[in-house]
Amino acid sequence: MEKNPIIRRLRPEDLAALSGQSSAPVLVRPSRSYWQDAWGRLKANKRALVSLYIIIGLLVFTFIGPLVWQVDPALQDIDQISVAPGADRGAIVVDAFEAWDGQAPAPGFAAGDGLSLAGQPTTQSVKLQWQDMAGADSYLVYRNNFVPDNVNTLGLPLMQISDPSQRFYEDRLDLRPGTYYYSVAALDAFDQRTGDYQTVVADVIRVITVNEVRTRNLVDDPDALRPGDEVRLSWHPLGTDYLGRDMLARLMAGARVSLFIGLLAPLFFVAFGVIYGATSGFVGGRLDSVMMRFADFVVALPFLLFMILFQVVFGIGPGESGIIPMLVALIILSWPATARLVRGQILQIREEAYVSAARLLGASQNYLILRHMIPNTLGVILVTLTFAVPAAIFTEAFLSFIGMGVAPPTASWGSMCNEGLKTMLTHPHELIFPAAMISITVLAFNLLGDGLRDALDAKMRSTE
Amino acid sequence: MSANVSNETLLSVDNLHVEFATYGGIVQAVRGVSFSVETGQTLAIVGESGCGKSVSMQAVMGLIPMPPGRIRQGSAKLRGQDFLGKTHIDGKAICGDEIGMIFQDPMSSLNPTMRIGDQIAETLEVHRGYSRSQAFARAIELLELVKIPEAEKRARQYPFEFSGGMLQRAMIAMAIACKPSVLIADEPTTALDVTIQAQILDLLKEIQQETGMAIILITHDLAVVARMADKVAVMYAGQIVESASVDDLFYKSAHPYTLGLKLAMPSNRSDAANQLQPIPGSPPDLFSPPAGCAYCARCPWAMQVCQGDNPPPFVVGDRHYARCWLQHPQNERDIDGLYRVPAEQVADGPSGSAKGSTV
Amino acid sequence: MLWYTLKRLLQGVITVWFIATATFIGMHNVPGDPLSGERATNAAIRANLEARYGLDRPVTEQYFIYMRNMLRGDFGISYTQQNREVNDIIREHFPVSATLGVLAVLFAALGGILFGALTALFRNRLPDYIIMFLVILGISVPSFVFAALGQLSLVNINSVLGFSVLPVAGWGSVSHMLLPALVLGLGTMAYMTRLMRSSMLEVMSSDYIRTAKAKGLSPTRIFSRHQLRNAALPVITVLGPAIAAITTGGFVVELVFAIPGLGRYFVQAVQQLDYTVIMGTTVFYGAFLVFMVILVDLVYGWIDPRVRLQ
Repeated sequence: MEKNPIIRRLRPEDLAALSGQSSAPVLVRPSRSYWQDAWGRLKANKRALVSLYIIIGLLVFTFIGPLVWQVDPALQDIDQISVAPGADRGAIVVDAFEAWDGQAPAPGFAAGDGLSLAGQPTTQSVKLQWQDMAGADSYLVYRNNFVPDNVNTLGLPLMQISDPSQRFYEDRLDLRPGTYYYSVAALDAFDQRTGDYQTVVADVIRVITVNEVRTRNLVDDPDALRPGDEVRLSWHPLGTDYLGRDMLARLMAGARVSLFIGLLAPLFFVAFGVIYGATSGFVGGRLDSVMMRFADFVVALPFLLFMILFQVVFGIGPGESGIIPMLVALIILSWPATARLVRGQILQIREEAYVSAARLLGASQNYLILRHMIPNTLGVILVTLTFAVPAAIFTEAFLSFIGMGVAPPTASWGSMCNEGLKTMLTHPHELIFPAAMISITVLAFNLLGDGLRDALDAKMRSTE
Repeated sequence: MSANVSNETLLSVDNLHVEFATYGGIVQAVRGVSFSVETGQTLAIVGESGCGKSVSMQAVMGLIPMPPGRIRQGSAKLRGQDFLGKTHIDGKAICGDEIGMIFQDPMSSLNPTMRIGDQIAETLEVHRGYSRSQAFARAIELLELVKIPEAEKRARQYPFEFSGGMLQRAMIAMAIACKPSVLIADEPTTALDVTIQAQILDLLKEIQQETGMAIILITHDLAVVARMADKVAVMYAGQIVESASVDDLFYKSAHPYTLGLKLAMPSNRSDAANQLQPIPGSPPDLFSPPAGCAYCARCPWAMQVCQGDNPPPFVVGDRHYARCWLQHPQNERDIDGLYRVPAEQVADGPSGSAKGSTV
Repeated sequence: MLWYTLKRLLQGVITVWFIATATFIGMHNVPGDPLSGERATNAAIRANLEARYGLDRPVTEQYFIYMRNMLRGDFGISYTQQNREVNDIIREHFPVSATLGVLAVLFAALGGILFGALTALFRNRLPDYIIMFLVILGISVPSFVFAALGQLSLVNINSVLGFSVLPVAGWGSVSHMLLPALVLGLGTMAYMTRLMRSSMLEVMSSDYIRTAKAKGLSPTRIFSRHQLRNAALPVITVLGPAIAAITTGGFVVELVFAIPGLGRYFVQAVQQLDYTVIMGTTVFYGAFLVFMVILVDLVYGWIDPRVRLQ
């Protein structure tokens, strides 16, 4: 048989019995309540925490923002329509407008060979003059944003001048700062284009009259202004929309509507769902199956279709904003999911061993509800609520986007997107800002919901 | 192949260390485990949950997800060839071909959306290059071999249509499809009814006698050990604390933990002396295993030396080893029920460290 | 299974009946009689409608006429477009929406399964982080924003490259469909990716995958034969809601891309208060969605043996 290899010699004290041993497990971590524990987990979740800050920021933006940025969201700044954020807002002071008779071009703007400018092109007016064109019986005046390649790309004319001796034109139509290409084409006696046309470039600058400065309160002492002075127009940090309304102010107003629906509707339908589901789960039996059959039925209805239908029927009266019908429709159509969830939870908890144990120990029904049912469903309800908010905001935005939500002039992020869509190609900021607000809000609530679910889910806690 | 005893070492694992990186730190799940098994032999590895018995076998099979798992050192040899970290030796696959494996919960260990027959046939298709129909036909034969009635019909059914015992039979059919030389059975009967347990164990024995394969049986049930095993290794906190032939282990238990397990085992005598005695306390935290004997904190006979030094495996009999300082020749205490090495068998030498030996 | 199918179908019929009734009641409660409004002052349309719906008769009788017409599949005549049957409108425009929808569902399901599997396989590594970041964006950005931004960037890409990569709007060829379908499927794809990822992670850590490894199967075979199929099964269950989301999402995408689909037509009808078109398309869409959800459930039951055989 195998012998032991050489073993080290022990000292006598090595062989002494070990004393003071305790085999009782030692509690290392302090005990924490369920909610303390959940809060601790949520705090450890960086994404959820950032989302929480974003949501707090949104609430500040919505409720404190209008106090800081006191601009009427309905006020139109007609000098600054569809202005991008950070655009130049300088304007040169000019005299009040006087109609031009085609004579006396401004110094430095003498009539040239063909089409020429007769004065500095401004947002007040652009003055054109031209020489006689061969065979012309009348003229067409065109304005384009690009260089016309040939006579066919001129598009629709601004004006037809039928008197061939009148060889000037003053354009006052909706002028914006920027570059325009004016063209004049000759027509023969039969109103056919002779093919002769000329083009001139006009770099339009923004101007303002003293009177306008005074009514808009842009400077302290408007009477001291002289033509040629520069003033700054009112500031729109996020630009303006297609009606010249301040985007920031509208975003704040829109936030009130979107968050009103987005927070209130979930609060109501989750509350109703909880009551409905809890009743159904508690009472059980026939009532339970009838109630749940009904809930199944509401779930089967196509949600957005019915939202639209509801809006058609109740939503858009004259002078109504359409907010309340949307709220009601959301509540009516959204509660069953919560009801099912809560009923499931109640049924499950009722079968748990700890509830049976409590019942065996003589706990009353009220005690069971207060001590076991409510605390154990609260987490689930909270998570549902958090996820219901982005869904409601989405619904509002969708309906408003297709014109079935809040009615103009009420602003909501969805309706702002709808309006922004029309000017998307030229002024994308009008779409991007409200779209970003929706996305950030929904993102924040989704991530917070994820965080809450992870923090409150008892199953995940045990597998840590 | 005839039953039994060529005395050739078939599979040997030497000084295996496995650890897991977790959020809380590195868990040293297996800390230097060595064992071997011969053709036709059954080795039982016993221990409570979390002691590393399953992990060491899964590490050998390459089933541990890495990361977080890591085999820090050690070797596993099949017929002398190291295969740790490899999938094939000599063109033969380790998993499924040379070594078959069955698991604790047959319900969750079979793919719920695949027919039983297909799952068995899959092994043959991969390792033996059978065609689908060939493999399926063989799968039916295998199901008959593990005594599943109406095998032909059963092969076309899904796992949820089987009972637990039936599923474990199917698992066995799957594991032995390629006639492996070693079968690892990881708690094969834990999830089953007692009556079914006996049937499954008998089936395993029967197959072993026919094919001569070696079985490594992982269990925490000493009754199963007594029924099945030729030799036994008792694991505690990632180490083998005692290993012996099955008789020696039961009648000459040389480690207090083995003794504790035995006392915690129900027996059919009901006198007061035979009341179940639980082992107080719980196993040590393997995030930072103790420097000394891992069982020290729960051992009623712990000595000063146990706290600071991990005991080497002492030879206490023929192929019988125990990692316990009580077996040190200088220790004169006799403990009731604990087998001690007869003094004359011990070569007492100068101070030095005992070398770990292969169990 | 047969019994279950019949039960579901019966449930579906009742739901559609309710939708039809609710639509009828809703439309009859619109403030002001639709016919007395300025919409239908044309005497020919008015006479036509009165004859068809018996508008001079009591409401209950009107309801039965309405239901009888519905059962015969007759949805009536448009209020705003004289002599245009709602059936014709549906027949003409629905195939466009359906094509777009099918393409979007395909995008969403295939993309979701692919990306979801990918993120699970690369869990906690760079591809996972990138895709999951995009997924969160996809869930948080409304479809109309995707549509608008997609169109905007396409305009810019086309103008930078100097030629048209894809048409910006309109309908007709496959190239017209690609961007709208992608945009329409994006949100659903994000949801499905997320679902597939968690489902795949669950499958990957399951015992039967360990068994498959112990059987010595190669990782590719395990992926294709065991993981992909089992992980994709739960994704199929959300196809019903996904089809609903994509159908209604189609309303705005068709609007933005000027696609002559039924969705755009429906939105226009709603904006113009074209009652018969609203009623007809609502009931049609309602029935379509209800039966799609049932169909998906039945298909799932057929695919998953655990459900099929119970």
